[in-house]
Parts: sequence; structure tokens; C-alpha cells
Amino acid sequence: MTLLQVKSLTKDFGGLRALEDVTFHLEEGEILGIIGPNGAGKTTLFNIISGVLRPTRGEIVFRGIPVHRLRPHQIAMAGIARTFQIVRPFNNFTVLKNVLVALGHRFYPRLLSSVSPFEVRDHVEAAHEILRRVGMDAYKDSIAKNLPLGLKKHLEIARALALEPKLLLLDEPMAGLQHGEAERLAALIRQLRQEGITIILIEHNVQVVMDLCERIVVLDHGVKIAEGLPEEIRTDPRVIEAYLGTGGEVAQG
Amino acid sequence: MFGGYTLTVAINIGIYIILAISLNVITGYAGQISLGHAAFWGIGAYCSALLATKAGLPFWVVLPLTIALTTLIGSLLAIPCLRVREDFLAITTIGINFVVQAVFLYVPFFGGAMGIGGIQAPFGMSSFFWITWGFVLLCVVLDRWLVRSWIGLALESIREDETAAAISGIDVVKFKVLAFAIGSGLAGLAGHLYAYFMTFISADDFGFPQSIVILSMIVFGGIGTLRGPVLGAIILGLAPELFRPIMEYRTLIYGALLIFMMRFQPGGILGEESLILRTFRGVRQRA
Amino acid sequence: MIWQQLANGLAIGSVYALIALGLTMVYGVLRILHIAHAGIYALGAYIGLLAFRFVPNFWFSLVVAMAACSLAGILVKRYLYMPLLTLPRIVPLIASIGLFIAMEEIFRIVAGPYVLSFPADPGLGSLQLGIVKITNNQLLVFLVTCILLAVLWFIMSKTKLGLAMKATSQDLEIASVMGIDTERIIAANFLIGSAMAGAAGVLVGVYFNSVYPTMGSIPAYKALAIIVLGGLGSIPGTVLGGLLIGVGETLLLGMTDIPFPRDALAFIIMILILMFRPYGLLGKE
Ligand SMILES: Nc1ncnc2c1ncn2[C@@H]1O[C@H](COP(=O)(O)OP(=O)(O)OP(=O)(O)O)[C@@H](O)[C@H]1O
Ligand SMILES: [Mg+2]
Repeated sequence: MTLLQVKSLTKDFGGLRALEDVTFHLEEGEILGIIGPNGAGKTTLFNIISGVLRPTRGEIVFRGIPVHRLRPHQIAMAGIARTFQIVRPFNNFTVLKNVLVALGHRFYPRLLSSVSPFEVRDHVEAAHEILRRVGMDAYKDSIAKNLPLGLKKHLEIARALALEPKLLLLDEPMAGLQHGEAERLAALIRQLRQEGITIILIEHNVQVVMDLCERIVVLDHGVKIAEGLPEEIRTDPRVIEAYLGTGGEVAQG
Repeated sequence: MFGGYTLTVAINIGIYIILAISLNVITGYAGQISLGHAAFWGIGAYCSALLATKAGLPFWVVLPLTIALTTLIGSLLAIPCLRVREDFLAITTIGINFVVQAVFLYVPFFGGAMGIGGIQAPFGMSSFFWITWGFVLLCVVLDRWLVRSWIGLALESIREDETAAAISGIDVVKFKVLAFAIGSGLAGLAGHLYAYFMTFISADDFGFPQSIVILSMIVFGGIGTLRGPVLGAIILGLAPELFRPIMEYRTLIYGALLIFMMRFQPGGILGEESLILRTFRGVRQRA
Repeated sequence: MIWQQLANGLAIGSVYALIALGLTMVYGVLRILHIAHAGIYALGAYIGLLAFRFVPNFWFSLVVAMAACSLAGILVKRYLYMPLLTLPRIVPLIASIGLFIAMEEIFRIVAGPYVLSFPADPGLGSLQLGIVKITNNQLLVFLVTCILLAVLWFIMSKTKLGLAMKATSQDLEIASVMGIDTERIIAANFLIGSAMAGAAGVLVGVYFNSVYPTMGSIPAYKALAIIVLGGLGSIPGTVLGGLLIGVGETLLLGMTDIPFPRDALAFIIMILILMFRPYGLLGKE
């Protein structure tokens, strides 16, 4: 079943076209990789899907519902969660409180439930459960800003999971991590997939993407220049050119 | 029980505590810098004054009406504040303060420069004291409950990072308006008490300098905590009385205190990383 | 009549612009709302008056006031703001407000709460332009403002310092990576901005023939509205904003019967504009 359809998505920043007519779709349960050189528009794509930015043109349909006009919290409630390329945990909160914020999505919409206390056993237990899933329960009382980068990235995933998402958007989760940390994160991503969460993964490290993803979309200068199985992408001449740095003009021409 | 002077000071401080708690909801919890809180206080005071004198309604009927009205007006005034952030927000709120004050001063309906007088409380000073402090207690309880609720968590996460809050399922606009609504509703309560306590109010009482005083209280005590605003209001509320012998230098000391605090204890005297709190914790840990 | 009002408005507006300039320059490099800047402006008026009592020459007192204010600006930067830069924005803001309050009090305690007169006559004479009479004092305001703006323009666009100042206000970190001594540039911003404020203080003192402790209060906050109109950090925008508000206020007050709160006008315009352009008239995201 198709979970997400991105149709002719275009985004302009003033004179700069960050995305141009990008179309792709996503099947339930798969891991889709998005790769592309710096400035290709990958993060912009996530910003639009998660409602942080509005598209200039185009549509996004999630589980049959158009979501490109919704606000970020509505998209989160609809079941799309994300992490940030440059991590953004709630720095001065404990790890546990970070997760609780997202757990609250069930309580925020109605006044009656939003006035109930959040630090009660049930909620704290649920937050623990999520932290256990990402292997972070030992850190529950640490202040987020004091964590090393790898754990901050795990924490962002934990916060995303608290939304009980159908779709998880991961923006370069491996970037800046040491080998061991990256290994653990890759294992976590596989595990989430096992749990039935659909994932879009932006990643610079082509090897990581090839290993983790069933299908790959390649962006360059805002244009989708290729889409297919990892094997096809590896040998695609346009992709090779884009990565060699001469592909910009070719791709647009 | 107490002398008249003590009662007056105590009532004043009670009103300040309510004001500080109310501003702390907006600025401390939700992180929306407001430099115009006296405007909301003034709106409350004028609502009560008009309802009491022109409509001739009794104290306990005016009270809920004033709170409802200030909550409403506060939410409306939050709308321009939603569009702007940080410094622009700070300046916008200053602007709101000046505009609201100008309306009180120039629109004849609000009594112009003469203000509104003859607001009679139906009870004496010592009852007024108990009523005021009853409301203070109520506000403290309310505040405590607020920070522990999902609403409080939502407000604090907006303060930390709006975008991260939004993608975590928090309707940022709704909760910001809610913060302004709660904050101005409570400021309305303070205005109500103030109007009846003074029996006479005028636009000058609610100027920008008053907003700074209120803000200073929460910053002084420790912004974003519950104990901070209460303590800040008590200390800065008492300060003018304690400094009375050196009347001449009162405001100077006040200004110097602000500079000194910001320079050496920016988290407030009871903020998370303040000297007093750290020392206190250290003692407790060793014990 | 309207032309006469326009001349009055332009004179007021020039002074607003001079005050707001320093505010915008400081904001440009430090992102601090430097409320105490209005205290520096009042300081300029007092120092100017003091100098004038020793040597009764307008130009002498202008120069002394500007020099003293530059020094004061540098001190404020060095001892108040620099240590607070890494803290939440509300901290330097409140420190600045505290300083402003303290300065006003010091003026009151030292010079007394009274309005002092500042009877300087630069000897320019008045000017009759058709039906419009530009008074001695107005001429003075225009002249000094023009000279100062010309000097500022020259520094900003023709000197290395100006270039470095622009780069720093665009992006402090990149500028420092590029090898610009940003500490010095920030100091230059305070120095120039405070000198302008000092000049404005002397001009206002002479123009209204009055110097008093709280003379900075209204300009302090009005200048905030002005720099927002101009798009925080933009120098041409600020000059434009100052003139616009000065003229707007004077015309509205002079030409209509509405008992209008003069000092609220700037804020009403500002709030309206922010509704449509949350980053100011000429500001970018
Ligand atoms: N909010 C914004 N305003 C203006 N321009 C933007 C904005 N966000 C991104 N851009 C521009 O859009 C283009 C695409 O940026 P984007 O961050 O999406 O690239 P990316 O593929 O994620 O790159 P990287 O691999 O470096 O993360 C860049 O040229 C960037 O400068
Ligand atoms: Mg990116």
C-alpha cells in the first residue's frame, strides 16, 4: 500500500529554487534512501513534508489525505515524525522530559486532558519504554545538552517514536558519529523497520544507504535525477556524474 | 491585627505577587518576552473601575467579569505578538503598553488624565488583606498545577525550541495564545484588586516603568520557576519601604540592583544555577 | 502652514534619526536592544551643557559631548554587554534597562530634578524660504545632522573600517573567520553610535532650550519603534524611519483636531507594520 505520495513538489527561496518538480512515492514498511550532494534540497524536502515549510507548488498525500497545507503539529499528529540534521533536542530538559513532550501529543488537543498532570506513573513508564527501545533508559535523568552527539541523535529518535509515527524522517542520522555509534544507530534503524515503521533516510554516506535502504531517490540541485534499487543507483551514470561534481548542468539540461 | 501601614504594604506585595506569577506564565514558562505587562494589569483595573462606578456592580460580580474580559483582551493582544519573535516581540509589547496607556489617557470614556475615582470596596482594610492573600494562595496553587500539567510542559517546550515543539505535536499558536490568556487573566485579577484597593486609578499607574518593575521581580527571583516570582515580588515590593530612609537613592539602587543581578546572577537569586540554590544544595548533600 | 509643520517635523525627525542610529548599529553587531543608549543621549545633553558653562561656544560643547559619550559607550560595551553576550537575550536587555534607570537617577541626583536651560546660540541666523521660516535652531539641527550623516556615510562606504563594520553586522562569526578584529569593530559601532547620541542630546537641549534627567525616556522607546520600522540593524532604514516618525507626528498633531497621543503614534505605526512584515519594513528573515 502506498503510504506517501510526493507530487511535483517545488520550493523557491526568493530567487533560489531549492526543489523542482520532485515526485516520488513510498510504500508502507520500506526504507527509502534520499541521497544527493550538499545543497541538493534534501533537508528542504523534509521541512516541507513535516510542515515546517510550505511548498511553493505541488502536493503531498499521506495515507490518502493531502497534508501539504497542514501545520507541523497536525502533521505530527497524522503520524509523520522527524529528526533534525543539526540535532534539536530540548536542551535544558532531561531525556525523560524530552520524550514526555512528544508523548503529550495525545493530551494537548483537548483542554480537559491537557490540564492533567504529566509526570504520573503511566506516562513516565511509557516514556521509559520508548527509551528502552532506543537503548537509552540509563540516561533518562541526564540533561539533554550534556549528552554526546550520538545519544542526542538517539534521543531525537526516541522523541519521534513517542508520536507513534507511521512514517519516520531521519535527516543524516549517522553524520558526525564515530564508528561504533553509527553501527548502533544502523541497528536501531533496522529494528524500527522490523517494528513496522516506514522510514525515509537522508544520508551522505552512500555505503550506509546502500546497506539499509530498499530503494533510493537521488536529488541534485533540487531535481530528482534518479530513483531505483541500490544496485541501479550505484551504476547510474547521472548519479556518478552528480557525485563527481559535474552533474549539475547535465542534470538540469 | 496589623497596623494600617503594614496592611497597605502587605496588600501591595500581594498584588505584586499575583502580577509576577501572571507574567511568569507568559515570559518564564512560555518564553515570550513581554515588556508591556502593566498594560494587562491596567486593562483589568480599568475594567473593574468602570464596571464598579459606571455600571454600579458589586465587587464579587465585577471580579469574574473583569477576569473574563482581560483574558479575552489579552488573547486578542497576543495576536500581534504571534507574528514576531524575540526582540521584535519585546518591542511590540512595549508598543502595546504605550498604546494601551495612551488610550486610557486620551479616550474620554476612560476618564482621561483624571482617571477614575470612587471605587468602593465593600469591606475594610483587614478583610481586604485576607482576600488579597487568599487570591495569592490561589494563584500559587494554580501556578503549581499549571507547571505540572501537559499545558505547562507544552509552554516550556515552546520556550526551549518552537520548531521542535511543533513537530512534537504541539500547536504553538494555540499554546502561546493560551499563555497570554492565562497571564492576562491573572493580571486582570491583580488589576481588580488594585482598583478597589486604591479606590482611584489613572493611566500613569500602568506605564512602561511598571512593566519593568514586574519583569524585574521575576528576573530577580528566578525566571521560569514558581518560587522566583513570589520571592522577587516580596523583595522588590519591600525594597521601596526598606529604602525609605534613603528615599533619594531608592530608584538608583533599584537600577544598580538590576545591573548587578544580570551581571553576576542572571538566573535570579533562586534560579536553577544561582549561588544561593547551589550553596543550599551543597549543604544538603553534605548533610 | 503645512510647510512650516514639515520643517518642524524634519527637525524632530533628524534628532530621532541620530538617536536611533546608535541603537541600530549596536543591534547590528550584538543583537542587543541597547535601551541605555537613551541614557547616553541624556548624558550628552548634560556634558554639553557643562562644557558650555565653561566655554560658551556651541561647537565646543558639541565636540566635548560627543567625545564623552563615545567614551561612555565604550565603557558600557566593555563592562556591561561583553560579559553577557552568551546569555539569553533577556539578560542584557534587563541589564540595559537597569543601567538606563540608574543613569537617569544619577543625572537627577547630580544635576537636580529641574529643567536646566541651554542657551547656546551658534549664530546661524534664521532662513526665509518662501513662506517657510527656518529658525535659527532648526537650521542648526539640520546642519549638524547633515554633517554627521555625511561623515557616517563616508566612514561606512569609503573606508576599510566601514567595510569591516558592514561585514560584522552581516555575520559576526564569518567576519571574525575572515580575519576581522570583531572586538574592535563592535567598539567602533558603540563609539560612533554613542557620539551620534551625544550630538543628538546637545541638539535637543539647545533646540528646546531644556535639559532634564528624564529627557531620554520617551526617545528611548520611540527609537525602538523607529529601528523596527527601519528593519533592525539597517542604517538607511533607520534614518528614513526617524524622519518619517518625526514628520508624521508633527503633521498629525498640527493638522488634525484629534487629541492624539503623540508618543504612541510611532508604536501604532510599528505594530501595524509588524503585522504585515514581522521583520520590519526593510528587514529580512
Ligand atoms: N530557509 C531557507 N531559506 C533560504 N534558503 C534555504 C533555506 N533552507 C535551505 N535553503 C537553501 O536551499 C538549498 C537546499 O538546501 P538543503 O538544506 O535542503 O540542502 P541539503 O540537500 O539538505 O544539503 P546538505 O547535504 O548540506 O544538508 C541550499 O542552497 C540552501 O542554501
Ligand atoms: Mg541537509
